[in-house]
Amino acid sequence: MTLLETGYQGLFTVVPIILAFMVILCLVRAIKGPRIADRIVAVNMMGTMTMVIIAILAIKMEEGYLVDICIIYAMISFLAVTLLAKVYMGVYAEKKKKEEKENGHT
Amino acid sequence: MAILEWIRFLVGAAFLLGGLTVFGIELFGVFHYKYVLNRMHAAALGDTLGIALCMLGLVIFSGFNFTSVKMILVVVFLWFASPVASHMVARFEVSTNEEIEKECEIDKGEE
Amino acid sequence: MSRLLSEEEYRKTKAYRMKRWYHGDKDPYISKVEMKPQKPFKEDVELQRKRLHDELILNQRIYDVEHNNKILAFRKFYRFISVIFVAALMAILLYMVSYLPPTGDATNPDNNEVAAKYIEDGMADTGAVNIVTGMILDYRAFDTLGESNVLFIATCAVLILLRLDKNEKTDTTKEEEEENDRLYEPKNDIILQKVAFFLVPLIIIFGIYVILNGHISPGGGFSGGAIIGAGLILYLNAFGFQKTERFFTQKTYKWICFVALSFYCLAKTYSFYCGAHHLETGIPLGTPGDIISAGLILPLNICVGLVVACTMYAFYAMFRKGGF
Repeated sequence: MTLLETGYQGLFTVVPIILAFMVILCLVRAIKGPRIADRIVAVNMMGTMTMVIIAILAIKMEEGYLVDICIIYAMISFLAVTLLAKVYMGVYAEKKKKEEKENGHT
Repeated sequence: MAILEWIRFLVGAAFLLGGLTVFGIELFGVFHYKYVLNRMHAAALGDTLGIALCMLGLVIFSGFNFTSVKMILVVVFLWFASPVASHMVARFEVSTNEEIEKECEIDKGEE
Repeated sequence: MSRLLSEEEYRKTKAYRMKRWYHGDKDPYISKVEMKPQKPFKEDVELQRKRLHDELILNQRIYDVEHNNKILAFRKFYRFISVIFVAALMAILLYMVSYLPPTGDATNPDNNEVAAKYIEDGMADTGAVNIVTGMILDYRAFDTLGESNVLFIATCAVLILLRLDKNEKTDTTKEEEEENDRLYEPKNDIILQKVAFFLVPLIIIFGIYVILNGHISPGGGFSGGAIIGAGLILYLNAFGFQKTERFFTQKTYKWICFVALSFYCLAKTYSFYCGAHHLETGIPLGTPGDIISAGLILPLNICVGLVVACTMYAFYAMFRKGGF
């Protein structure tokens, strides 16, 4: 193994490990986050880092098809953020309206 | 040719590590700021600049082929999607937080 | 008497009347406000019979001691039998575990010829470069048909449980019906709409790419269908139910699922009857690696993808609105 190959292997081994640690820290943020928006942002960050990990694996294992999963991950993460934000907004508005109704009656 | 390979490795590694640094900064910002709307600035950093640098480094590693086109597609997709996701989260936060005046000034002219 | 008024004048004042009422001499209301006497409670014969009948039935239902005893006995019996059944089942399964081969043995059945056969002959038999697709859509296509049917049946069950009846909301106004689907949600977010306008075709095209390349690269009907379903959900989220119902309703869903599943059924039946393994089917396999190759795998992939995409969308729409 030449020095160059060793460099590639080292780089492709170290960078995913660092990213994995970052993902764990994001998970801490997602668990700690006082508001729901905190958690959504943290989960979105985790998705981005996972995409980079998958892309690095695709280059390392020379399997180009793994990048497809990156694209799917990006789509699903975007969809999840928009859907969660919208659904929670709807739920919050409904709860607010119900409370107002109850207060108005009593 | 060996020197060209080395240059490619070094440039790619520089981009990859740059992206990693951006991710680190993003993470620092997310833990440093105290409120969601501030944290979102830091979080959007990795979605756009961080992944773009990482993918650029990987494209340099792999050369120009179908895989790298797909990687560029990921970046383009995220550049479209990430601002909208941030917009949705910000709108969600502003519309559900009842004590938002404590955190920041909001312009009440429109609503 | 130290009155200022004379006796006659005093008799006209209210105080005098008050006094008389207080002493009980005369009640001023006695002939003015009177309650009419209550009519005696009368019941015609039919009403009485009905009431008695109802009471009888109620008594029978509540105090039907004999039947209730039967039910209680059956419950005790049921518990007893179920415990015995579960214990017997556990005993049988644990007994069977002792017959399993030891771990780490090279002659174990999980190292047998089936896997080797799939790996060696898969490409020549099915024409698919991706061995997994060749397996699930050629060797084990009945299994995949069952999975697609399970998705369809699951949607039917959710439809039965969650669908809102149309008759309940006949008297709503047009505006309410318009807002019905997203009453509490922010509507028409222009930023999301503009971006969805770009991204939805991209997502759907990518899903089609994954489906069409199912026999060449990893992917296939299930994952591609899920991606197309995600695209449809994003479209629905950005533009609302009204826009989506122009091209996707329950009828569309039923027809797509019906056509896809029955085509799958017929094609696979033909392939099973006429070309089980070494028989000639008449379906060319093509050169492995081309998009139009691998015989029946590509159309079957498309069928599965359609079913999965419609199922994803239908689940989402049903849980959000209760019908689509």
